[in-house]
Amino acid sequence: MGLVKRAEHRAAPSRPHIRKYGRDLQGLLAQLHDDQAKARRWAARDLAAHTEAVSALCERLQVEPDPTVREAIFGSLLTIGTEAVAEGLIPLLRGEDAGLRNGAVEILQQLPDAVGHRIAALLADSDPDVRIFAVDILQDLAHPDAPAWMLAVVEADEHVNVVTTAIDRLAEVGTPEMVPAIQAVKDRFPNEPFVGFAVDTALKRILGNG
Amino acid sequence: MGHSGVARESVPEIRVTDAEFERFRDYFYRKTGIRFEDSKRYFVDKRLIQRMRQVGHEGFREYFAFVRFQASGKEFQELVNLMTVNETYFFREEYQLKCMVNALMGEVLHHKRSGETVRIWSVPCSTGEEPYSIALYLLEFWDRIDEVDVEIVASDIDTQALEKARAGVFSRRSVSHLPPWILKKYFEPLAGGYHRLCDDLRASVDFRRVNLCDPRDTRGMRDFDVIFCRNLLIYFDEASQRRAAETLYDALNPGGFVLLGHSESMSRITSLFKVRRFEDAIVYQKPL
Ligand SMILES: C[S@@+](CC[C@H](N)C(=O)[O-])C[C@H]1O[C@@H](n2cnc3c(N)ncnc32)[C@H](O)[C@@H]1O
Repeated sequence: MGLVKRAEHRAAPSRPHIRKYGRDLQGLLAQLHDDQAKARRWAARDLAAHTEAVSALCERLQVEPDPTVREAIFGSLLTIGTEAVAEGLIPLLRGEDAGLRNGAVEILQQLPDAVGHRIAALLADSDPDVRIFAVDILQDLAHPDAPAWMLAVVEADEHVNVVTTAIDRLAEVGTPEMVPAIQAVKDRFPNEPFVGFAVDTALKRILGNG
Repeated sequence: MGHSGVARESVPEIRVTDAEFERFRDYFYRKTGIRFEDSKRYFVDKRLIQRMRQVGHEGFREYFAFVRFQASGKEFQELVNLMTVNETYFFREEYQLKCMVNALMGEVLHHKRSGETVRIWSVPCSTGEEPYSIALYLLEFWDRIDEVDVEIVASDIDTQALEKARAGVFSRRSVSHLPPWILKKYFEPLAGGYHRLCDDLRASVDFRRVNLCDPRDTRGMRDFDVIFCRNLLIYFDEASQRRAAETLYDALNPGGFVLLGHSESMSRITSLFKVRRFEDAIVYQKPL
C-alpha cells in the first residue's frame, strides 16, 4: 500500500477490447449510431479529423438524446470549422430544442469567416426568432462589421423583440455615434413601454453614465 | 529596438515576415492548441530565429518545410520545448492539495471496491513539481495512504521539461514554498541552492509525454479518479479548451474530479461537469 512505484505501474491501464468498428471514416460514421452513448461520444470526437463528416454530425445532433454526445459533436464541428459547418448548424436555429439552438449559436459565433457572409440572409429571415438568434451570434462574432449589422437591425427591423434584443446587445458594444439611431426607436414603437426602458438603459451604458 | 548597430561579425540577418508569422502561428496552434497573440510576436520570432541558426536554415520557408515534413518530428518538438511556458513550483495553489486529501480522496474511495488502486493524473506536469507535490501531500497529510494504493501519472508536451522532472533536481525558487521539515525529510541539498528529491519519491511518479490536444496521445489515458489540469487552459483558445475538457472527461472514471488553475473555470467551457464546492476549493466532477 502507499504510492505505487513506477516499475509496478501497469503498462496499459485500460483493458484491451475487441474492436467492433474500424477507426476510419466509415467505421466512425457507423459508430455514431451505436446503442452506447460512450461509443457514440468517441466516434463524435474522432470525427473531428474528417471534414467530410459534417453533415452526418449535424444530422446526428437533431436526434441525439445524450448531452455528453452532443457536446462532443459540437466540439468536433467547431474544430472542423468549415463553411459546411455553418451551413449545417444554421437550420438548428429554427428548431424547438433550446439546448441545440444555444449550442449552435455558440459555435457559429466562433466561425466569423463562415458566418459573416450568411448574416445578411439570417437578419432578413421571415421568422423573428431566427433574427433574434442572428443578433445573438453577432454579439460575440469576431467580425469587424458586427456592430454595424446590429445597428442596421435597430434602424430597420420591424419586430419589437428583435429590435430590443439588438439594443440590449448594443449596450455592450455600441459607440456614441449610434445614439441617435437607438433614440429613434422610441418613436418607431410608441406603444411598447418596454422599448423606452431598453433604450434608456442602453444609452446610459453607451454614454458611460449608467 | 532596431537593428541599426554595427554587426561585429557578419551573421546573416534572419527575419520572419508577417505572413510567415501567421503561417507558423496557425500551424503551431493546430498541433498544440496554443495560440500566440500578436503581442507574443517578438517572443516567437526570437525563438524561431534561434532554431533556424542552430539547424542552419537561413530562410523561414525552407525551415518551416523542414519542421513540418521531418519524419521524426524532432525539430517540431524542439520548438515546442522552446515556446512553452514551464513556470511551476512545489505546493503551488496548496489549497487544492488540501482539498484532495480532505475531501476528494475520501469520495473516490467511497465508490471503489477495497483494494482497488486510486489513479491520479497531473497534466501538464511541466518539470514535475506538481505531481511530486501530490505525492508528498498524500504521504504526509492523508491518513489512509497506508491502506490504499495510489498511482500517479504525470504528462507534458515538453520533453525537456519531462527530463528535468525525472531527474528531480530543483532550484531554490522552486522549493521555496515547501515547509523546511519536508525539504529536510525528502530532499538532499546540492551546491548552488539546488535540491535533489529522494529516489523513492522520484520512482513514485510515472512521467509520459502527452499532447493533450492529440487524440492519439490521450486515447490511452483512462480510468483516472483525480486529474490536476492547472495553468494550461489559459494558453488555449475556446475550441482547444473544449476539446481538452472532452479529453479530461473521457479520461476520468464516473465521479472523478478535475482541478483547474485558480484563473480557469470549466463552467465557461462546457457543461459536462458538475461544479462541486468543497471547503478548500472548487472542483469539477464527472457525474456518477
Ligand atoms: C505553466 S505550466 C503548468 C504546470 C503546472 N500544472 C502548474 O500549474 O504549476 C504549463 C505547461 O503546459 C505544457 N503544455 C502546453 N501545451 C500542452 C499540450 N498541448 N499538451 C500537454 N502539455 C502542454 C507546457 O509544456 C508547460 O509545461
